[in-house]
Amino acid sequence: MADDLALLIPEIIVLLTIVFALVAEMLHLPRIALAVSVTGLLLAAGMTLPLLGADTSVFGGTYRIDTLSVWAKLILLPATALSILLARAELGGSDREGTVYVLICLVTLGSLVLASAGDTMLLVLGVLLSGLGSFALVAYPRDDAATEAAMKFFVFGSVTGAIMIFGLSYWFGGSGSTLLSELSLLDTKPVIAAVGLIAVIVGLGYKAALVPFHFWAPDAYEGAPVSIAAYMSVVPKIGAIFAFAQVVRDLPMDTHWPLVIAVVSVLTMTYGYLAALAQNNVVRLLAYSSIAQAGYFLLGIVAVGANPLAFVSIIVFAAAYAAMNLGAFAVLMRVGRTLDAFSGIGRRKVVMGIAMVVFLLSLAGIPPLAGFVGKFLLFGAAMDAGFTWLTVIAILNSVLSLAVYLRIVVPMYQQPDDATAPAQTAAPKPEPLITLVWIVAFVFTLGIGLAAQPILGQIS
Amino acid sequence: MLPIVSITLFLPLLGALLIMALRKTSTQAIHAIGIITSGLTLLGSLWMWSRGVNETGFAQLEELDWMPSIGAAYRVGVDGISLPLVLLTTLLFFLTFIYSAKVKERPQAFVVLMLLLETAAIGTFTALDAILFYVFFEVSLVSMYFMIAGWGHEDRQRAALMFFIYTLLGSLPLLLAILGLYLGSEPHTFDMRVWINNPPLDGLAAMLALIAMLFTFAVKTPVFPFHTWLPAAHVQAPAAGSVILAGVMLKFGTYGLVRFALQMTPDAFRDAGIVILIFGVVAALYGAFAALAQSDIKRLIAYTSVNHMGYVIVGVAIAALALDPAIRATALDGSVLQMVSHGLVTGALFFLVGMLQDRAHTREMDAFGGLLKITPILGWSFVLAAFASLGLPGLAHFPAEFQIFLVTLQVEPAAVIVILGIVITAGLYLRAIGKVFLGEPNEKWLAMSDLNTREVLTLAPLLILIIVVGIAPALVLDMIHKTTAALQF
Repeated sequence: MADDLALLIPEIIVLLTIVFALVAEMLHLPRIALAVSVTGLLLAAGMTLPLLGADTSVFGGTYRIDTLSVWAKLILLPATALSILLARAELGGSDREGTVYVLICLVTLGSLVLASAGDTMLLVLGVLLSGLGSFALVAYPRDDAATEAAMKFFVFGSVTGAIMIFGLSYWFGGSGSTLLSELSLLDTKPVIAAVGLIAVIVGLGYKAALVPFHFWAPDAYEGAPVSIAAYMSVVPKIGAIFAFAQVVRDLPMDTHWPLVIAVVSVLTMTYGYLAALAQNNVVRLLAYSSIAQAGYFLLGIVAVGANPLAFVSIIVFAAAYAAMNLGAFAVLMRVGRTLDAFSGIGRRKVVMGIAMVVFLLSLAGIPPLAGFVGKFLLFGAAMDAGFTWLTVIAILNSVLSLAVYLRIVVPMYQQPDDATAPAQTAAPKPEPLITLVWIVAFVFTLGIGLAAQPILGQIS
Repeated sequence: MLPIVSITLFLPLLGALLIMALRKTSTQAIHAIGIITSGLTLLGSLWMWSRGVNETGFAQLEELDWMPSIGAAYRVGVDGISLPLVLLTTLLFFLTFIYSAKVKERPQAFVVLMLLLETAAIGTFTALDAILFYVFFEVSLVSMYFMIAGWGHEDRQRAALMFFIYTLLGSLPLLLAILGLYLGSEPHTFDMRVWINNPPLDGLAAMLALIAMLFTFAVKTPVFPFHTWLPAAHVQAPAAGSVILAGVMLKFGTYGLVRFALQMTPDAFRDAGIVILIFGVVAALYGAFAALAQSDIKRLIAYTSVNHMGYVIVGVAIAALALDPAIRATALDGSVLQMVSHGLVTGALFFLVGMLQDRAHTREMDAFGGLLKITPILGWSFVLAAFASLGLPGLAHFPAEFQIFLVTLQVEPAAVIVILGIVITAGLYLRAIGKVFLGEPNEKWLAMSDLNTREVLTLAPLLILIIVVGIAPALVLDMIHKTTAALQF
């Protein structure tokens, strides 16, 4: 038991962080809550480092401490810290400010549980824990848009959550255990395996915003504060993707789950980018882009079990995605929500413009940026698993994605029209926290692109 | 040993970083940094030339671990096929910087992009690791997109977008082929030398990889019917961009055709040789006929590029089809020399059109007349470059095209119909010269000034080299032949 707890130090630190931040908020000390959450999260990330290379589980196999789980902490905890800085820049000074940090940490804890799940019950726990906090975060501004978004998000989440629990009961009935590692017992019961699989796709697909369970995402992102949208597009999504990998690694192959997931992947990528092409609101555009990016993650999922490249590719792409997506949202917070706001920004804010171009090209998968390395590995993993057709579709979608991201890049370097010029002369006031976030994200987007070896070497 | 390949490769990048670090600098200082950096890069490539190439394989290898877990490394080196192209690249960039010293509009961003583009171009030709190659290949695309979108002419946004999406769509199949070759090699590696010495794929897999690569390089070269981005991009690009696009970046396509398609899937290439040959012939003839129909002089030159690159494709296809090693070597000699000659000649022509447009602000041939009397230096330079482009003996294109036609006659006599292209180009250039430079001077242009010192300095090296390569092609051919004679495929 004591050994088990030693392996859980990062999670315990996050839990304590939540408690202390909540205390600070109750004492009306939001700055302390901010400091406690950021320090706690970074400390937890630091305490994860000794666990690198671990491949074990605690609590009788229900909670896994393996490559996925460790890297989920190393990626999600710093990403959460950055999101909290963004939230401070956007929501700082509002009443109940500290609760935002507490809820964000809680959602992150839920995402970590998802990424480490070794048991169907922990899967449910993770979905609920990250879900409940997210509803509250979306509703935080308490205006009509936010309330509507949170309502949609909540109703959708309740239904998909219920379906997931219902389907998982089939797995329990079939294998006699809630442990994911016992799923291989289902190889003689394909129907039961399939029902459970569909339930998991519904439940986790909702979390990761996969098509056709994505409908809440654009509205929720648009209604929520931008910093919360940035956070939700990264942390719970990656948690759900990692949970997917945890589930399918033990699933018997004769359910043809890779094919099912491949189909979801095609739908997600294609629909996400096609819908993004039609958006004029940059938040919605990035929301659809993050839906499409989830489809790319699934290229790694289909290869789980077929080759060792699968986990590597998912982890590298997760790190890349966290950096570039947070960076793009941070710049968006500085510039504004509409495409018009981006007009000529690249000429006036040169360095920030370059950073935004780097984030967007990285999202499109242009080398030598982080997104390229991640997608390249995902393509390799899928091809090695025999899914060449899926790789071809992913590559075609990459072209589509370029058209999507250039919709932001092109106006950035346009000569501003005279009509809109006066509105833009009011330069946004400097926001050191946002600047810090996009600089960190920029460094990682370039760094993972040029020097992925530290990550690759650690995983394999 | 000084790692001169890497130094040459990253010098422009250093220059770009230097300019970015100096936020507030005068326009002259920025252009000076650009000229000095590219001048040093040119010296670096000359140094590489003096070290020479090996009889077999690659010379001047420089390696560094990059991502050993997946078999990717920083590997650069040159052989007789890539070194001439590196020399061409550094020369054209140096001259472009001299020519562009007139750019007043956001000079800082312009020079940074050009330097980035130079590193990407040198990297594409020297990379010996497939990922590294792909990285440079794509970076060049991004820089060129911003170049056209930022400093192009009237309809630049559309042209830049078309260029970017078209060529990205074109380059992604290459990624697929690279992954296929990687997964086929045992142990998995991205080392291009391993793939060349030991082609990892065979049968259907090799054919599919070849088709993917052919698609990529056909868009880049460009080959009919994948050429539609080229006229738009060329016409809208600033003169400096056109020179680099035609002089350097089109060679990515033909270089890739030799380095990847021919060397890494040789058997499949041989099987598909006839089809590739037909594409080459059609491209050459189509380019010539389409050029004939143009009234915009920049479009005309853009289409003659399609024609000249078609000859390169023909040469490479003949090299694959030929059974006699001597004929193979000659075919590749001709193809590589044709790439170099095209860089020199078309580079000069696009500079000249740029200079003309700076003065007249139009590119319509009918708007001019008798310019030879008003601006003799510009006029005679154009005549010389145009004669070189139409393949006049004694000038750069002749020895290259002659070798290609010679081997075509030996291997696939029917394909010699491609020679018609020469006749048509001769006709269209004579027509262009007649309209623009001969006849009665148009009153409108009487006050037009002739080339200034900066422009003469830009052009002179190219015109001299066009003559030198025409008279003594052995200067370049010896280096090329050293590699092509030993190629096993």
